[in-house]
Amino acid sequence: MGAEAVVIRATRVLPRLAFALLASWLALVWTSASHAQQNEAQGSPVEIHGFVSQGFILSTKNEYLAKSKRGSFEFSEAALNVTKTLTDELRVGFQIFAHDLGPIGNYRPQFDWYYLDYRPADWLGLRAGRLKVPFGLYNELNDIDVARVPVLLPQSIYPIDHREFLFAQAGAELYGNLELGGAGELEYRAYGGTLTSDLGLPPPPGLTPREVSVPYLYGGRLLWATPLDGLSAAASGQAVRFDAYYDFDPALRALLEQVALLPVGLSYPLPVQFRVTRWVASLEYSAHELDLAAEYSRWTGEFYSDAPLLFPGHTVNERYYVMASWRIAGWLSPGAYLSRYFVDVSQREGRAQYQDDLAATLRFDLNRHWLMKLEAHALRGTAALDNRELNALNRGVEQAELTRRWALFLLKMTAYF
Amino acid sequence: MRSRVHGDRWTATGGVLATVLLLVSLAAGGSGVGRALAGEPGGFRLVVNAQSATEPLERAFVADAFLKKVTRWPDGEAIRAVDLRFDAPTRQEFSEQVLQRSPAAVRNYWQQRIFTGRGVPPPELASDEAVLAYVREHRGALGYVSARAETSSVKVLELR
Repeated sequence: MGAEAVVIRATRVLPRLAFALLASWLALVWTSASHAQQNEAQGSPVEIHGFVSQGFILSTKNEYLAKSKRGSFEFSEAALNVTKTLTDELRVGFQIFAHDLGPIGNYRPQFDWYYLDYRPADWLGLRAGRLKVPFGLYNELNDIDVARVPVLLPQSIYPIDHREFLFAQAGAELYGNLELGGAGELEYRAYGGTLTSDLGLPPPPGLTPREVSVPYLYGGRLLWATPLDGLSAAASGQAVRFDAYYDFDPALRALLEQVALLPVGLSYPLPVQFRVTRWVASLEYSAHELDLAAEYSRWTGEFYSDAPLLFPGHTVNERYYVMASWRIAGWLSPGAYLSRYFVDVSQREGRAQYQDDLAATLRFDLNRHWLMKLEAHALRGTAALDNRELNALNRGVEQAELTRRWALFLLKMTAYF
Repeated sequence: MRSRVHGDRWTATGGVLATVLLLVSLAAGGSGVGRALAGEPGGFRLVVNAQSATEPLERAFVADAFLKKVTRWPDGEAIRAVDLRFDAPTRQEFSEQVLQRSPAAVRNYWQQRIFTGRGVPPPELASDEAVLAYVREHRGALGYVSARAETSSVKVLELR
């Protein structure tokens, strides 16, 4: 076996080994979890929690998230978190997370979040570190199977394959709860920072991005708990800017210049700026065993470059869903949603321009540490197959050529403490 | 052609299965209402430390304290809420009446907070006696015990 083969084999095996070690570590600390809770009551508040999830994906017609047409187990997650209350105002914590989702993740452990949290009053708190992004009702829960009914949240607003961009930011957050007297309560969260993890931006063929950076990311969420018990309304917004410098393959550059997509005489690497602003309006009713949610969102992407024909200037996409879940018994929670996504609000025709997703889930809480979910999706459109890595799963077939009507089935089991 | 027909069948199966799961959910949901409200209430008492100046409490305040949306008493003292164990009948009753959610729904709330780094639940203690001992020892403590518990060493609060 040559050295290159050994290296390739090691790069495949080591992440799985790390994942196995993390899972083993979870098992080892499992028994100490209840002890940790007992300690808190006795004044030493150290909390250790974790989960391990294993899913199975099966799809018809189109590959989705993994090589799913033949069925795939490349749908794993594990996390371990530790939090400690230092004083009544001060807390610290971190969560290590590893996952595998088809071509994404590959069991590479990373800090999902870590923070120092100072909360001198209920109306004012400050967190600093790597923090989950509050966008809409459920963005923070997107990779936490135990915290929701569906296996996949509505992918129009919570695309699971965009976790590096959407789930967490490194920076700070101001937050608090305000009593509004008879008008309910208002929770505010405002944050700013950047993205620090490997963005993994898959470049278009022939382009090599250099110095990809995120100069800023900021946003916030207002969540109003109305006087009607269980009814909440929220508004979230976020702005982020990506800067990149692109080198072009000489042959591709000549071709693009020839068809006038690339102006002649530009200096390289070509600076390109991509700004995204997005907002979502949310409504949730959560009382007793019933949860209803509806959200509507628009995301705007704008490129700034000296090659405006190659990097189109302005796109607005539309995303919304309605969702319901009901805890029938402690062990059984069914749920369903209808989710819609349009890539460009000015161009809604064509299968690549939209994706409708009707999903139904059964969540079985087998005991306090173990759950199982079954989920079926009927899909129409191929817009969510736009991620370059996911598109590669379909062997680079254009989205407009992929099958319009398809289905997806998921089975997932999670152990947690 | 054959694989296309086969694929169509699977795609249709996805739609049918999604619809069936939805209908089963709705049908089963109807029968779940009675179960959720079933149970013989034994009553509970809300207890705080004997030195606490706290007067009768609003239900919403107690709910917020147990969900850690409110973390301080009016005098600035940190609230130290304490739960009974998950399967305790008194917890079931307290949860339904005060938090207006089942213990399982509250557990789901805490799972969301735990794994997003936004908080941890109140400690769970095994018995009324353990809760009373905790409340005696912590000035900012807030707990509940069954109505039959001996509560002379703590202050019992009225819930409005």
